[in-house]
Amino acid sequence: MSNDHVSNLMKGHMETLATEGKRADGRGINEYREVKIEIGMLNTAEGSAMVHLGKTKVLCGIKMLIGRPYGDSPKSGTMMTSTELAPLADQSFDPGPPREQSIELSRVVDRGIRESRMIDFEGLCIEEGEKVWTVFIDLHILDNNGNLFDCCTLAAAAALSNAKIPNVQHGVADKDVDLPVNCWPISCTFGKLGDSVILDPTSEEEGVMSARFTVAHDENGNLRAAQKGMNGAFTDSEIREAVKTARTSDNVLREALKGIQ
Amino acid sequence: MAGQTDMKLIKNGVRLDGRKPDELREVKIVAGVLDNADGSCYLEWGNNKVYAGVFGPMECHPRHKQKADRAIVQARYTMAPFSVNDRKRPGYDRRSTEISYIASQAFERVVMVEEFPKASIRVDMQVVEAHAGTRCAAITAASVALADAGIPMRDMIPACASGKVNDVVVLDLNKEEDNYGQADLPLAIIPSTGEVVLLQLDGHLTPDEFEQAMDLATSGCMDLYEKMRNALDNRYGGSA
Amino acid sequence: MSEESSNKSNSESARKLVLPGDLVETKSKPGKGIFRKDGRIYSSVLGHAHDKSGYINVNAITGRYKPKTGDKIVAICAETGPSIWRMDIGSAFNSTLHHSESSWKVPFGDTARFLAIGDAIWAEVFMVDAAGSHQISLKKDDCRKLYSGTIVKIDPTNVPRVIGKQGSMITTIRENTQTRIQIGQNGYIWIDGKGEDIALAQKAIETINQEATSKGLTKKIEKLLEK
Repeated sequence: MSNDHVSNLMKGHMETLATEGKRADGRGINEYREVKIEIGMLNTAEGSAMVHLGKTKVLCGIKMLIGRPYGDSPKSGTMMTSTELAPLADQSFDPGPPREQSIELSRVVDRGIRESRMIDFEGLCIEEGEKVWTVFIDLHILDNNGNLFDCCTLAAAAALSNAKIPNVQHGVADKDVDLPVNCWPISCTFGKLGDSVILDPTSEEEGVMSARFTVAHDENGNLRAAQKGMNGAFTDSEIREAVKTARTSDNVLREALKGIQ
Repeated sequence: MAGQTDMKLIKNGVRLDGRKPDELREVKIVAGVLDNADGSCYLEWGNNKVYAGVFGPMECHPRHKQKADRAIVQARYTMAPFSVNDRKRPGYDRRSTEISYIASQAFERVVMVEEFPKASIRVDMQVVEAHAGTRCAAITAASVALADAGIPMRDMIPACASGKVNDVVVLDLNKEEDNYGQADLPLAIIPSTGEVVLLQLDGHLTPDEFEQAMDLATSGCMDLYEKMRNALDNRYGGSA
Repeated sequence: MSEESSNKSNSESARKLVLPGDLVETKSKPGKGIFRKDGRIYSSVLGHAHDKSGYINVNAITGRYKPKTGDKIVAICAETGPSIWRMDIGSAFNSTLHHSESSWKVPFGDTARFLAIGDAIWAEVFMVDAAGSHQISLKKDDCRKLYSGTIVKIDPTNVPRVIGKQGSMITTIRENTQTRIQIGQNGYIWIDGKGEDIALAQKAIETINQEATSKGLTKKIEKLLEK
């Protein structure tokens, strides 16, 4: 269903429910939708994962190529994250080059993975100062029903966790080995709906909410990346509260990730 | 078509992947896999994996592309960066632009565009894994998605390629045959009339081989058409 | 091709699924969802063929809403003009509501004061022209602006399922949730009541929409509503 015109009635209804701690789809305000993760479905990718977050569906493929390291980190591999808002995922996704929306999404996912040091970049060095592995994280949005930020971070983490370094194909070594992965970053996204703050917004909720806040934690409960988006605002205490909520609510996502290992 | 005929692609009438010359790879079609799209389809053809999604009919944007007396079909074919062994740069290139263009025109032949003046029907084909024959897989999947979206059509169009390897005309080239074979002929037809709505050819075929290749690709299309029907029957047959 | 097309025919069972391009054997006059070629009739959509009172129709079982004169619908304001509103009704194009088809005295240019973007109404389709554009009216029967409750969107082809045989399904939902419900033919459904009750009715309606083709739906909905 297209949500181009979310009626004012729906907005009012969702806001009223939220003040009572409830959601239109029966969830509590700090509850995730059902999460399903599948891995390794793509033969042409070094690692792959499909994540279903409610009806949102994201496919992630990892590709690895040999490149040059940055001058200031000659022993470190590099990574790049891109998202494709495929037109089949949402009527409002236009064909064409990436827009701000897709670039923001890519960069927030990128920061969560990068800053948590999920990938052991030193382990991606082939020849110091000359040759390192570049990890390409490509996220394909297939069905947009809200909260692409968390779904993409989850898909990226899951795909990285089953990625193999293609040593054989590139003549680096005679065996492909697992991509070295240290930890699991998880992002939690909140929406401001009226005067309430809700976790894991659907696209209907995104259509009526005024602001968005994403925070990524590592396994030890430390913050690694955050982003506030949209033209509304949160109060100082709402932000602090959301960060606390994220630390407990992200458990369902961590459990889902553990399930695939 | 590199045309390196010295590479043995057929031994004793059997192809490298165990198929006979006139045999299709395994095809799996599921209709209605996406929630947002008006119609959708997931298709696996050998190791090819394709999603197709349809939106519309809806108001055509940009406005200058509107036709006063009919709808336009805006088809778009894209390969994901991870769909091939060497990562593909994301986005549109000349190859996908050409395929999108001829696919749009093929669909406009069957979609009853005259029923929706000024409208647009958006058809998006996303190849997520590619092993030769993706344009045929994409067009076949998109046809199912169009029917799933309730778009009025004169028929659905299956697409299938034939080609030549080691001087033998074969159906449905796989990756190696596509790389080292001598000819590739993707074909899309209207099953009820036999009309050809898409045809491309590259390589080398004698006039006799061309006739043979046409027959083979046509029969491949008819096999696929049955699979397309089954996919829609699986989704909707249980109702009422 | 003749062999293949003959096994596409749909002669006896009216309930058999027909696909675009399928031959429909009939002596009746052509209705909707079909096209004629060489004196024969073919289905143009995915649906079920109905041969009734001299006309053959293929009723689509999927697809966007096609407005029909006399349909009662829920519409959401998408755009305002100086003397009209452009209303989202879930079809290919937005519908027009002219100020003269409302009960308000609207000064020129002041439309948004009466109906702003996002506001919803219960209305009737009163004109559909050959080029596919359509107009709706607020002047008929119980048509009005909707001030409370919420709107749920489902596939218009599932509307009969939500209503049920002789309205059995919708009566069950209404009685169990203590809500007011009006079902637009366009698949937009208005529900009013207490927040929690609306949410339950919405859940029931969305379940029907998702599982419209599955068996034992009535039982499942009754169980869902017991909670």
